[in-house]
Parts: sequence; C-alpha cells; structure tokens
Amino acid sequence: MNIAGLGIVFNRGRALQALEKALEEGWVLPQDAAYAVSEDILKDKSALKEMRRADAFSKMACLAAYDAFMDSEVDGEKKRSLGVILTTAFGPYVTTLRFLDDIIHYGDASVSPTIFSHSAHDAAAFYIALALGSRGPTLTITQFAHSFSQGLIIAETWLKSGRCEYVLVGSADVCGEVMKYIYRQKLNVASDGKIKPFSFARAPVAVPGEGSVFFLLTNQETLKKYASISALPEAALKKPDVYILDCDGTTGSEEVYRQIGKAGPLISSYTPIFGSMLTVSSFNCAVAALMLKNQKCYAAPVQDNPHGLNLCTIRKSAKINSISCIRYGCKKERLEIFLKQ
Amino acid sequence: MQSLGVVISGMGVVSACGKNIPETLDNLGAGIRNYSPVSLFETKLDYPVFEVKGIGYGDAKTMRTLELAFIAAGEAMEESGLKNRLGDLRIGVCMGTTIASQLNDTDFYREYKLKGSASMRSIERYLKSNLAEALSEKFGAHGPASTVVNACSSGTDAIGVGLSWLKADLCDVVICGGADELSRVPLAGFGSLGVLSELPCKPFDQERAGLNLGEGAGVIIIEKEEMLRKRGRKAHLYLSGYGLAADGYHLTAPRPDGSGLELALSFAMQEAGINPGQVSFVNAHGTATLDNDLVEGNVLRKFFGPGVKFLSTKGYTGHTLGAAGGIEAVFAALGLLHGWIPQSAGFNKADDAIGISPVTKKTMVSEKYAISTSLAFGGNNSAIVIARE
Repeated sequence: MNIAGLGIVFNRGRALQALEKALEEGWVLPQDAAYAVSEDILKDKSALKEMRRADAFSKMACLAAYDAFMDSEVDGEKKRSLGVILTTAFGPYVTTLRFLDDIIHYGDASVSPTIFSHSAHDAAAFYIALALGSRGPTLTITQFAHSFSQGLIIAETWLKSGRCEYVLVGSADVCGEVMKYIYRQKLNVASDGKIKPFSFARAPVAVPGEGSVFFLLTNQETLKKYASISALPEAALKKPDVYILDCDGTTGSEEVYRQIGKAGPLISSYTPIFGSMLTVSSFNCAVAALMLKNQKCYAAPVQDNPHGLNLCTIRKSAKINSISCIRYGCKKERLEIFLKQ
Repeated sequence: MQSLGVVISGMGVVSACGKNIPETLDNLGAGIRNYSPVSLFETKLDYPVFEVKGIGYGDAKTMRTLELAFIAAGEAMEESGLKNRLGDLRIGVCMGTTIASQLNDTDFYREYKLKGSASMRSIERYLKSNLAEALSEKFGAHGPASTVVNACSSGTDAIGVGLSWLKADLCDVVICGGADELSRVPLAGFGSLGVLSELPCKPFDQERAGLNLGEGAGVIIIEKEEMLRKRGRKAHLYLSGYGLAADGYHLTAPRPDGSGLELALSFAMQEAGINPGQVSFVNAHGTATLDNDLVEGNVLRKFFGPGVKFLSTKGYTGHTLGAAGGIEAVFAALGLLHGWIPQSAGFNKADDAIGISPVTKKTMVSEKYAISTSLAFGGNNSAIVIARE
C-alpha cells in the first residue's frame, strides 16, 4: 500500500509541520507528567464544524484523518470509495467515565444521551466519515497489543479486493487522569519524564501520552507521496536501513529488543516525543514515512545508549530505502511494520 | 459449489433463547421468549431484558462477555472438528463487542473519585477481556486478531473481516462472531435516548415502542473449502459475501433514505455473485425502534420486493449489541440448514409506512441464500450472505 497522505495530532501540535519541528527540537519535559494534547490544538471550525458535541478523542481522530486526506492528492469526488479504519487501545474512555459520573450522581434514569452516544468507540470514525463525506466501509478495532498493525492488515485486504480505492488508517488514544493513575499502578512511570527506549530494561519507564495519526493509503502508485507500508509477513525486509523501535514502557520487559540492537542497521525510536501509548507504533510509522520521503535521519530524541547501539544521533541527510518498525507485545510476540521508499 | 469456497464449519450460540444450538432451535421453534426484569445488576430502570440465566458473572479475572464468547466459541469449535487439530493451522480471531471494549466499571470509578485511588482488580479484568486477544490465547491462534467495535454491527463486521482474511490467504481458519454482556451503561444510555420499550419488543409492528436489551454470543468457524475437504468433511454452509457502508449522516439515527444499507446489501450480494431474487429470507436487524424498522423495512421492500420473507430474531434474544451480528448469523445459517425460520416474535400489526410484514409463523424456506443485516450507531450498515450446499 502506498502512503498518499499523512495527518497527526500530538502533544506538540497538529500536522506534519509540527511533527518535523518536534523532530528537530527533540525531547521536551512533559507537563503534568504526561504528553497531553491541549484544547487549543483541537480547534478548527472548518474540519470540526459538525462536531460541537464531540469529545477530544473524536476531535483528535477527525483532525488527523482530515489532514491526511487533505495532504493527499486524492480527488475529492472519490470520497465514495474511501474507507476508514480507526484503531485504538482504550477508545473514548474519558467520555465513558463522564457517563459513569452521570449514573453515579443522577441515577440510571437521568443520564445524558449525548454523552452516552459519544462513549461508543466508533463515534470518532463516524465523525471522520461525516467530515469527509465518505460512504465507504468504516471500521473501528481495539486491541491492547497491536491494533494499528491489525488495522493495516485489514486495509490491505480491502484495497486488494477492491472494497475501496483509498483507506484512511489511523490510531487514536486519549490519556486523562484515570489513565495516568492506571499507568502509575501498572507501569514504571518515569520520574524524570523521559522514556528511555534503548535501555531495554526489565522494568522500562513510561510517560503517558495521547494523540492521533492517520495515513491515507491506496494501491495507486501515482499517488504515493511518502512510502509504501505493510504489516503482512510477506512484506518483511531482509535488511532494512533503519530499525525504529516502539519501546515505550507499556508492554513490560523490553529485554527482548536486545537481539535487534545487535543486528547492525541504524536504530532509532521517537516514542519520547509522543509519550507511551499502546498505539504508539502508528506514530513511529509516521516518522518513518517522513524519513523516507525527505531522505533524512531524524535524531533519536533520547539517546541514552547503554548497549552501544548504532543510534541515529543527529539529523542528517541519508539514503534510506527501507525501515522496519518493530513492536513486541506483552507476551513478547513480535510484529513489524515495513516501510519502503 | 460456491465460487468463493469459504465454508462455515462450526457454529455456536448462547443467548436468552438457549445456551447452545439444540436448545435455541427448540425455543425458536416453540416461539418462547425468555425476558425478565434485570437481575444481573442493581438498577431502578424496569425495562424487560433478555438475560442468559445459569452462567456465572464472569470469573474474578475476566468479564462476563468473555465467558459468553467462550461458550459459543467452544460449541462452534466442537462442531468444526478442529478442536484438537489446531497445531499447524494459521488461525485468525475476529470478534465484535461493545461492552468488553469499555472501561466502564462503576464501582472502580466511584472508588477512584472518592479516594483518588481504587482497586485495580476491575482494570485487570478489563485488560484480560479483549475478545480477540483472549480467544487467540485460549485456542492457541497465531494469525491475525482483531476486536471490532462498530457498535451494533460489530458482530457482522467481525465476520466480514474474517472472510476477507481467508480470501487474502492470511489464515486457514477464522473464529469470528460477536459477544456482549448485559450492562448498566447501555441500559441507562439507551433509556436516555428514549428507545427502550417497557414491554417485550415488537419488531416491525405498527405499535413497536422500542428495543429490549439482551446479551449473548454467536460464533462461527470459517475456513476454505479445500481445507475442509482435506479433513474428510463435507461442506453444508458457506459464507459468500459481506458488505459494509457508511451513512455519513447521524451518530445515532439511520439515514432516512436507507441508502447506506442499500449499498451494504449491494456489496454483499455482488461479492456473493447473486441477485435479490435468489435470496430465501432476510434475518433483519429489526430492533423494534421506530427509526430502524422504518428505514430497514423500506429498504428490504425496495431491494427484495414486497414478497420478501424476513424476520427479526430480537424478539427472542433482545438487542445483544456487539453480539447481535454473530448470533443472527448463526440463526440465519440454522434457518438455511434446517429449512425453516421461526415466526418474527412480537409482530402483530402491519405498519403501512413500512409496507411489508415479517413472517408471522414458523415458515419453511427452500432457496439457497440468506442474508443477515446489521445497522449501528455511527451510521454503519452491514450485511452478510450465507448459502447452503
């Protein structure tokens, strides 16, 4: 599949300019112990014109998807053949909790229908379809381990079978106070606010993050703007130029990544920019797509390197043909997403 | 033989209509409706619901939804004959749900709000109850795994995704369907939307007054026909087509002209390579809400003609949300397999605004194809085509 457009909403802003700027600036200390997306970033009267009642989850996803579509050169008339696949770990859980607030405070018979309808996981995908005028297939999937790569796999089957000509595939997750609490209880939250992706620690550190990233995918070669992307095993790269590791402290011990560290190619990870999220692989893939388009290596934002890896330490021009983004789940199952120029 | 060659080699179902297929067939044939007041949790709402009696409320470590899924998947796996032969196969798991995807434990949240901290037990249960991940682990599946959360079309969409995996040769077998438990959150939520009926639901009836919630799971095992034959088994049922289309209209209401559902039906039948005249019956979404039944009924009349045989089985199960597509796929397949469909429970009086009526008695069906439809929050419209040999 070819990446024809890219959109992103994260702690440091919205759209690719914000991403490129963040990659140049490198790591910054998170505020309130999390890489949250401020409300200012989620203001856009044009893209969000029918989303007055929508929550942050839907707005983030809609803006990222909208930008991905606008970033592409896909003819607006082709929206009928546009599919949408949103992947998430926790969905709009903050809205679900707002609904529980209603139940707790006012009782089962006095809850808000608006909050309830926005607590459905697929509300965000609906808003994307509405904003873009899509009538194609719309799917929301949720997993804790590898939801983004599963979304890519489904997109590939849709494009191959002709179910649609274009698919917006992306991820979204929100943070919030309860998630921060869960992180503190379940994970080793970094006291200095710094994810250390190359420590390969048994108890790696995490910093909660949130955001959304979307890729507009198509099999049409002429629309390829960034790279090709696939999560299918047959697309595996024998020797990629760069490994991007999804180490973010959310899936338990990261010792298993040590075997990759010895493999030789250039290694990087951008999770310290985005924060720890179970969908973080989609964000690293966005950076990979930029690297392939711009033929640039972006410096790893945190460069603690106790294992002497061949790290990307400075931003520089480079000939990059292929990148493999690697994530191990909690059970140490490995999934790779392959990007090629 | 079907051109697609994807067979249904096993089915399992659990709902208020029965805890397995034989019990379900008995109750459907006899027209028995097992509704009751809510007993699974405390609530002041007194809408009738369709609960599955006689199973535990999950164990301490997982959600009830997962238990329902395991019951249906276990029955399906048993029928498929694959239970002890999974070792070398590429198995995918695709399940739909709504409740098992939500962090919605009221006790946890109340405690957190009061104290600023809370027991992590319910969070652990939630994290262990992602349907695709949990079923993959239970059955040793190492193929693609996805939990679809497309609201009320989740089960149908999960089956459709499974079909696409097989056609793309990503796996040999797919365990797919849907599961959902009855929960306080949708009960209060649908109540707030004014779409719950205080009486047993009456799909497509002129006096319909809303839906009843239910719970359950429906799972089918699908695989390529050549693999089934290699195992020395005969194909009886096929999964022939799937269509999914968005309304892009309203978060909770269907597009009035029904064009999203029409698109989904067209895609599903195109994939199956059939035309409306070949369809034996439609197992409709039929929630018994004013809007759904009006839009869906009109689309069915327009698409299949005024003589179409159709029914809603929600009069037997309630609306089981993310499970509905899985359960109703099994019901549609059973109808084809056994040659009859039950009366559309709750229907008495035709609605002129719809212009067609569901079957009012146990009805013999002889044609080869059946369709099951789902409409959902978010404007999702889904349809699958099932065929018999």
